[in-house]
Amino acid sequence: MTHEDDKTLVDALAAARDAGRSCALATIVGTRGSTPRKVGARMLVDPAAGLTGTVGGGCGEAEVIESAYRVLETGMAERVRVDLTEDFTTWSPAVCGGVMDIFVEVVPVSEPVSPTETRPEVDSGS
Amino acid sequence: MTADDRSGTPALGATEASELLLGTSAEGGSAAAGTVVGVSGSVPTHVGARLAVVRHPAHGTRTHGSLGDFTLDAVAVQHLNAALDDSRARDGIRVMEVPDGQVELYADVRRPIRELIVVGAGHVAQPMAHMGALLGYRVTVLDDRPDFATRERFPDAERLIRADFSDPFADVVLHERSFLLLVTRGHKYDYECLVRALRADPAPAYIGMIGSRRRVRATYVQLLEDGVDRALLERIHAPVGLDIGAETPEEIAVSVAAELVMLDRGGTGVPLKGVERVAERFFKDSDTDT
Repeated sequence: MTHEDDKTLVDALAAARDAGRSCALATIVGTRGSTPRKVGARMLVDPAAGLTGTVGGGCGEAEVIESAYRVLETGMAERVRVDLTEDFTTWSPAVCGGVMDIFVEVVPVSEPVSPTETRPEVDSGS
Repeated sequence: MTADDRSGTPALGATEASELLLGTSAEGGSAAAGTVVGVSGSVPTHVGARLAVVRHPAHGTRTHGSLGDFTLDAVAVQHLNAALDDSRARDGIRVMEVPDGQVELYADVRRPIRELIVVGAGHVAQPMAHMGALLGYRVTVLDDRPDFATRERFPDAERLIRADFSDPFADVVLHERSFLLLVTRGHKYDYECLVRALRADPAPAYIGMIGSRRRVRATYVQLLEDGVDRALLERIHAPVGLDIGAETPEEIAVSVAAELVMLDRGGTGVPLKGVERVAERFFKDSDTDT
């Protein structure tokens, strides 16, 4: 992950925190064989703002997004194993040839943001 | 920090940890976060617990967050320190064996931000700065001519510095993740910058100097005459770049950028087709299917 990608992700995390939204963070923590992204790649799933970053595009990302929504609901982190070793002739997107181990955790709203919550949004200053 | 302090240390969230790592890297430091991603047995922590070790050039070394248990924290810090000490350590899971079970700790390591320092703001410098920014380097362009190192010419360079080539790095902190490219308008300036770069401590990750074989050879002769150790010549990448037949400034920048990626990632610079030889290895002449 480049410094710029990293920065984009941190900005998205901070935006969710500042807006008081919980979101889910997916991190590739292990890989075997050929995978589209490597260990350390991260994707933030923010229900209001969408996706930031990628853990491999079509190759298995849908599974991770599903897990992210589950994690947001239950609050329990998950490990998702994305298998990309399907046969090429199935025309499945999952033909990269490897397996990814992805950690999906909830990033909860830390503390209730006090003043802005009791004031109408128009007063929060912009 | 003492054991008593640690028991009250609040958990470190993903957002804070990410900010901490990014900020430290941007300020020239290194940091590693450890997140519990798996627990088996009876262990006093939980999945998602996190701590980070930060080595900051100005603020020293600090630990943030906790896994919830002093002994576990100590083991995790050991793992993270080992990762920080080994420049080739990869992000990934470290298995921590503890008396009543096992913890899978995911280590996420950040080194100081990679910097591309382009010395000389001429034709090659422009596409080079652009490409460096594209690759995620923090780009600095130095020149002694204020008309050349301008925002208009270098829209995506983070810093434009007017420098005196007799002391080019006076305003730039060089570190082990600094990539230097010497492309000044005259080989006299390149030479002066080269001597400075070779003496820098810590040594920069890359010192590239543009020039033909003849010019590079003349430079080496001069360096040896000036008492520079022969072994140091090996550290200079000159002529710069990979052999892709580059001619225009843009092509030269691609060639140098490819060399930077190759060195940073440990590639060979050889076409992958020749490395993998898929056709040759897996398909005999008579084969029609596989």
